[in-house]
Amino acid sequence: MNSMISMWYYFERDLIKWTRGKLTVFAHLVTPAAWLIFVGLTLPVTFTDNYLEYLTPGIMVMSVLFASMQSGSLVIFDKVLGFLNKFFAMPAPRESYLFGKILFITFRGMVQATVIFSVAVLFGITVYGVTSILLTYLVLFLFGTLFASIATTIALTVDDHDGYAAINAMVSMPLFFTSTALMPYDKMPDWLRMIASVNPVSHAIDSARVLLSGGDIAVSEILLLGAGAAIVLAICTYAFRRATL
Amino acid sequence: MIEVNNLTKYFGDLCAVNDVDLHVENEVFGLLGPNGAGKSTIVRILATLQRPTSGTARICGYDVVREPKKARSVISYVPQEMALDIKLTGRENVLLYAKLYGIPDRARKVDEVLELMELSERSGDLVRTYSGGMRRRLELAQALVHEPEVLFLDEPTLGLDVAARKKIWRHVSSLREHGITIFMTTHYMEEADEYCDTVAIIDHGKIVALDTPDRLKSSLQKDVITINATGTFTGLDLDCVTFSGGDNGELRFLADHGESVLPEISQALLQQGMAIQSMMVRKPTLDDVFMDRVTTNEEDSAFDSYKFRTMLRRR
Repeated sequence: MNSMISMWYYFERDLIKWTRGKLTVFAHLVTPAAWLIFVGLTLPVTFTDNYLEYLTPGIMVMSVLFASMQSGSLVIFDKVLGFLNKFFAMPAPRESYLFGKILFITFRGMVQATVIFSVAVLFGITVYGVTSILLTYLVLFLFGTLFASIATTIALTVDDHDGYAAINAMVSMPLFFTSTALMPYDKMPDWLRMIASVNPVSHAIDSARVLLSGGDIAVSEILLLGAGAAIVLAICTYAFRRATL
Repeated sequence: MIEVNNLTKYFGDLCAVNDVDLHVENEVFGLLGPNGAGKSTIVRILATLQRPTSGTARICGYDVVREPKKARSVISYVPQEMALDIKLTGRENVLLYAKLYGIPDRARKVDEVLELMELSERSGDLVRTYSGGMRRRLELAQALVHEPEVLFLDEPTLGLDVAARKKIWRHVSSLREHGITIFMTTHYMEEADEYCDTVAIIDHGKIVALDTPDRLKSSLQKDVITINATGTFTGLDLDCVTFSGGDNGELRFLADHGESVLPEISQALLQQGMAIQSMMVRKPTLDDVFMDRVTTNEEDSAFDSYKFRTMLRRR
């Protein structure tokens, strides 16, 4: 209980800090929308007559992916600038800092995804009921938790901004391009299809795509994402305990 | 309040803290020492941020390794770095700590500590606009919000101007009067001399002096003679004079009766072919105690970048 409350306070801290940087918020919200518009409306695609509708779930998941992966630097800042030393000398449970951070990172990605979804709706994609949207957000939440945990674990290991940025680019770019974000499995070359089918980003996108096009709930996919997120979060917590002793 | 026994900390091969014993009462306790002597490591162990390799440390009876939560509930730790959220207001910064500490009636308590640190007027401004001294006082306000028994300050006046430093010290002294034990590290000898009840000097991870500033100074029992001279100093063979070091053309000697040996010293130096610019006799300061007890000399020890990085990485 205590740990939930502290987690919320750490989350609140990041949230206020984020919203105070007006330009930062603007940039965070415009960038994914730009992806949607420039890629969704311009690429000459033949496999569907509504590429925007195809692309929207992909870009929503992408923005959660990129937002999560970039945000590991928040942990590095707190560590390098001495915040962690002050926080960890307090009786509040130390893990609540980590969980608050992961929650904020996931939340910020979901806000970005919401902007994309709203823009897509403005451009006229079909909306299939509240349940499908809520389930899509569940998918985004689990996916965000998974990658926020990965990002945080990397940040705890790497310890400097430059190295972190390099690793972030190395991990997130290939993950995005080897997923089903831009094209379906049957349009991929064989080697790419193999990679895409085991890529967690594809799984999140496929689930979101099924849900947002009015399809049935992919329970196994959601369970799989949930299990993945739980495992990585456990590893992250372990890394965190080791790094902060 | 603080009991430290046989405390030892290794970073790989590097012994940062070597079998240290300390006993701190309800007082202002200053830990002095050259860079890398192990000051911050001791404070970090006491603040439960690092585990000792061996030995024990207790704060208000709580073992920092076995009962860290209890220890954390009676301490506050203010590190060197000034970690404040500059995009939050002063009040929000303190409020975060009040929330994390679970303070009941926190709005009132936050106002109270801000008032105590003379920050009420500016508490609604973003910390971005605060001066260095104000930021340090805001950190003290954060540290005081849960009414700790022991306050750890790592170089609290580092990088502040004279007026800001004086103000910090005034606050530290008044906290001491409110019954808070203050354990701090500093580089500023005059400040330690003026404001600390007890000082310990640490060198190579070992305590080399531990007493009140007055007793440490009188332990030298001697006058300090400083001579500015050029030429090569080859040593001095006078009975009641001891050479205590020299750098940049300044030689330091200790003698029981400074004035009376000045002629002899000057004669001896002139015979060695040295040219004397000035001579001075004064009572010892804490600086002299420091120079007398500490063997690490900036010039003697080459900067060991490997060890330095090992230390930094451990922080």
